[in-house]
Amino acid sequence: MVSPAIALAFLPLLLTLIIRYRYYFVLFYRAVLVRIWRDCVTGLSREERAYQYVLVHATPGDPDSILEAFDVWCSKVEYISNIGPKKGKILDRLLMEQSPLTVLELGAHCGYSTVRIARALPLGARLYSVEMDQRNAAIAEKIIRLAGFDDDTVELIVNPSDEVIPRLRADYGLERLDFVFMDHWKKSYCPDLQLLEGSGLLGKGSMIVADNVLFPGAPKFLRHIRKSGLYEWKVHRATLEYSKGIRDGMAELVYQGIK
Amino acid sequence: VDEDEVSIFQEEREKERRRRRRDGERDKKRRENGRRKASKDVGEGEEKYQTKREKRERGKTKRSKNDREAKRRETYKEEPVKVKNNEEEDDKEKELRPEDLSPEELEKLKEAVDERKKLIQSLRGKPWPMKKKLVALRESQEFVEKYEGALGKGKGRKLYAYKVMMTKKWMKFQRDLENFKTACIPWEMKIKEIESHFGSSVASYFIFLRWMYGINMILFGLTFGLVMVPEALMGRPYGSIPRKTVPRAEEASAMDFAVLWDCGGYAQYSVLFYGYYNNQRAIGWLKFRMPLSYFLVGVGTVAYSYMVVIRTMARNANESGVGDDNSFNFSWKTFTSWDYLIGNPETADNKFASITTSFKEAILEEQESRKDDNIHLTRFLRVLANFLVLCCLAGSGYLIYFVVRRSQKFALDGLENHTWWERNEVNMVMSLLGMFCPMLFDVISTLENYHPRVALQWQLGRIFALFLGNLYTFIIALMDEINLKREEEMIVKFNITMWETSLYNGTEPENSTAPPISIHPADVPRGPCWETMVGQEFVRLIISDTMTTYITLLIGDFIRAVLVRFLNYCWCWDLEAGFPSYSEFDVSGNVLGLIFNQGMIWMGAFYAPCLPALNVLRLHVSMYLQCWSVMCCNVPQERVFKASGSNNFYMAMLLVILFLSTLPAIYTIVTIPPSFDCGPFSGKKRMFDVIHETLESDFPAWFGKVFSYASNPGLVLPFILLMVLAIYYLQSTSKSYKEANVELKKKLQAQTHHSSREQQTQNKILPQITFIIVLSIAEPDKS
Repeated sequence: MVSPAIALAFLPLLLTLIIRYRYYFVLFYRAVLVRIWRDCVTGLSREERAYQYVLVHATPGDPDSILEAFDVWCSKVEYISNIGPKKGKILDRLLMEQSPLTVLELGAHCGYSTVRIARALPLGARLYSVEMDQRNAAIAEKIIRLAGFDDDTVELIVNPSDEVIPRLRADYGLERLDFVFMDHWKKSYCPDLQLLEGSGLLGKGSMIVADNVLFPGAPKFLRHIRKSGLYEWKVHRATLEYSKGIRDGMAELVYQGIK
Repeated sequence: VDEDEVSIFQEEREKERRRRRRDGERDKKRRENGRRKASKDVGEGEEKYQTKREKRERGKTKRSKNDREAKRRETYKEEPVKVKNNEEEDDKEKELRPEDLSPEELEKLKEAVDERKKLIQSLRGKPWPMKKKLVALRESQEFVEKYEGALGKGKGRKLYAYKVMMTKKWMKFQRDLENFKTACIPWEMKIKEIESHFGSSVASYFIFLRWMYGINMILFGLTFGLVMVPEALMGRPYGSIPRKTVPRAEEASAMDFAVLWDCGGYAQYSVLFYGYYNNQRAIGWLKFRMPLSYFLVGVGTVAYSYMVVIRTMARNANESGVGDDNSFNFSWKTFTSWDYLIGNPETADNKFASITTSFKEAILEEQESRKDDNIHLTRFLRVLANFLVLCCLAGSGYLIYFVVRRSQKFALDGLENHTWWERNEVNMVMSLLGMFCPMLFDVISTLENYHPRVALQWQLGRIFALFLGNLYTFIIALMDEINLKREEEMIVKFNITMWETSLYNGTEPENSTAPPISIHPADVPRGPCWETMVGQEFVRLIISDTMTTYITLLIGDFIRAVLVRFLNYCWCWDLEAGFPSYSEFDVSGNVLGLIFNQGMIWMGAFYAPCLPALNVLRLHVSMYLQCWSVMCCNVPQERVFKASGSNNFYMAMLLVILFLSTLPAIYTIVTIPPSFDCGPFSGKKRMFDVIHETLESDFPAWFGKVFSYASNPGLVLPFILLMVLAIYYLQSTSKSYKEANVELKKKLQAQTHHSSREQQTQNKILPQITFIIVLSIAEPDKS
């Protein structure tokens, strides 16, 4: 039997852990517990709830108001891991500087980042958005159309990314990708990047932006870009979307090719 | 305290630096040798290079066969020419052989050599570009090397060659000796390796550990050589008298591991503890004065520690006192912030990041020093943080007090009736609190929003307060226990006299001077011996502290690292870069742990002579264990702190701890009479009476007289007064020196400022003057 005094001596440890990792506890509560509870109560999926909220609160045809509605829902009501306003600004800036003509987005989820990218594209540019999940893709489609982007600007491809990338050249007649945005499964960052390298779609100066490379994190991806020497790269340090204390980063890679 | 590179043990670092420089020179020489060789091979090399290039060209451009053949012909043509050239050069060298030279030519050569030598010496001051300097240096060195040896003729030449050989041998010998010396410094290579991976602050901890180890070795040597060994060899053997025998009641369990682990049984009745020593004035054929030696060693260890700590502090202060903290903040940062001992890319990255952040912070600080926003909020948060910390301190103090009182209750009941947890509650709770409270402080200190350096100092201060509070609570509780034991002793003493009289009464009452009845020493009743109890408590504390440290190391570092490393393959987020990550090495916590551990040693060493030995063992093991764990499972700190002036800070802490830990020991020695039936001072009124005794019986009478005069308050008081005055005088002179230094510095600054302004004014004036001159030249033309 451990005496109560010894148990009491562990109190500081407990307090420390709680205080130090409070953001993670909050995230766990918001992203997991609230989600499960709401799923049970409403019978809808999280993305559908978000869509309903956006439909009610945003002006159709106005991408800014849609993004804002999303941000409000994600920070006030529930939690969806979109790119978020702060990292979104970095993304906007990169897009403005680059002004790419062909953009590939891996992981549309419910369309937030798609709208964000499409908003910043120059005239005549085309965005290919890849989403694996059928239901999410349906919602993303609705959101994109709601924001006022037609088929010429945004093309939604409903398939896993590792199937889509090898067929991009054949099926969609792509010659070169100017900009790639990755925000899908963190585990497939590295294989997908290798697929892209192998497909020959990346040219000198193509930019690849990958979100969430620190949390939840894509260590293999980072290791690969560090070792391959094909890229000039840096990590924009920021915090996790809709959360203050969890550090996260967005990797910006510029393809240099084999020197 | 600025962040520039000042290491804990400047001396060692200095040595190291010197060695490095020497290594560098050696490397240079080696490189030059290589170059020389290369220059010899240049002819061949060029050819090779050319042929290679041609081959490459051939491979690249697919020309016609004819072309290629033509090329080949060309190369063939070239090669013989080259060979010829070489031969010509060889001929030249042959011509220059000194044997064949006329005396005038020799003279000339000598002059040339001398000139070259001069050039080498004065090269550094020449206003040439670096490239030219290097080329000139290499050429002249080659020249000198080539012809110097050849200059002398016959005997002189041989002698010269011999001399050169000897100097070379001597240099090699010196180099080897130097290498050998560094190899002799214990753990030097280990520490260097850690330094290259983790920066100087982590290395400074290990250097501190090594230094501690050295001190403890000496303490151990003193106690072992002058107390334990003489008693074991020359003192009465085990079982001869009651204090050297395990009592009958404990005999059955005296060899049990649990009992030994608690320092009972045979461990208690051995040289390891105070109670075993006999009060026999002189032992063995050497007439070794055991009690005196015991007392003097007790005093000597403390005195030696004081001396070492103060001397180190003074040396550190001398060396680090030159730095200028406030002015040129940014230039200090720019030019001195790199840690040149880092040899690991990851650490270098971290260092780089930390330098940039420190720049950012410094700039922010500069900005914030002009405007401060919402000072009330920060003040409130700081007060709140301190309040929380105080609560935490009070809570931990109360918990320890509570536990100690409970343990006394357990002791009264009899320890055998309680579980292991309950018996070791005090030590466990103290170790756990000492481990976890600093973490809590660390978390609380994020509230305060201090600069990290200031935050570190606060953190250190708080941990210090915590440890000190815990230690003193422990000691106060121990004092209570001592008082209890003494009461018990009174009763036992009374009982023993009763017992003895009953013994004598029981036998032959008419013959009281008869030889005493022989009773086995194990059966003799004895007092509680509070000194041994104190010693045991300290030994137990040290052991449990060591165990906790090692277990934390294994669980907190090793197991965590293993989990992070291998679970990362199948986890949904990045464990290595993200949430649990690998642990960092906590320098300040470890240093404080070390310091307090040492404090406990100083406190308890008088009552348990085995403590220094135990500590040496502990430090030895923890050196290896921590070196291993640092290299194996820690990552470099994200904010790499320099081992800056904190060294003296640590030293000051050590001094304070030394003082505070000798205080209770001295108090007990001076005020509490020793136990009547155990230890070297039994039967005396106070422990220090042993000195009087020695003076009276071992020294001539006049010495005792002189001593008694000298210890007269009429003499002692003026002496103390004189000492105070001397200290005051030294203090004031040092202060005036410091002021003079500051003045000089100001003057220097003012001068540079002035001269720069003069230059500026000159720059302003010059164009005006030229303008006027131009005008005056132009005007006559006009007119």
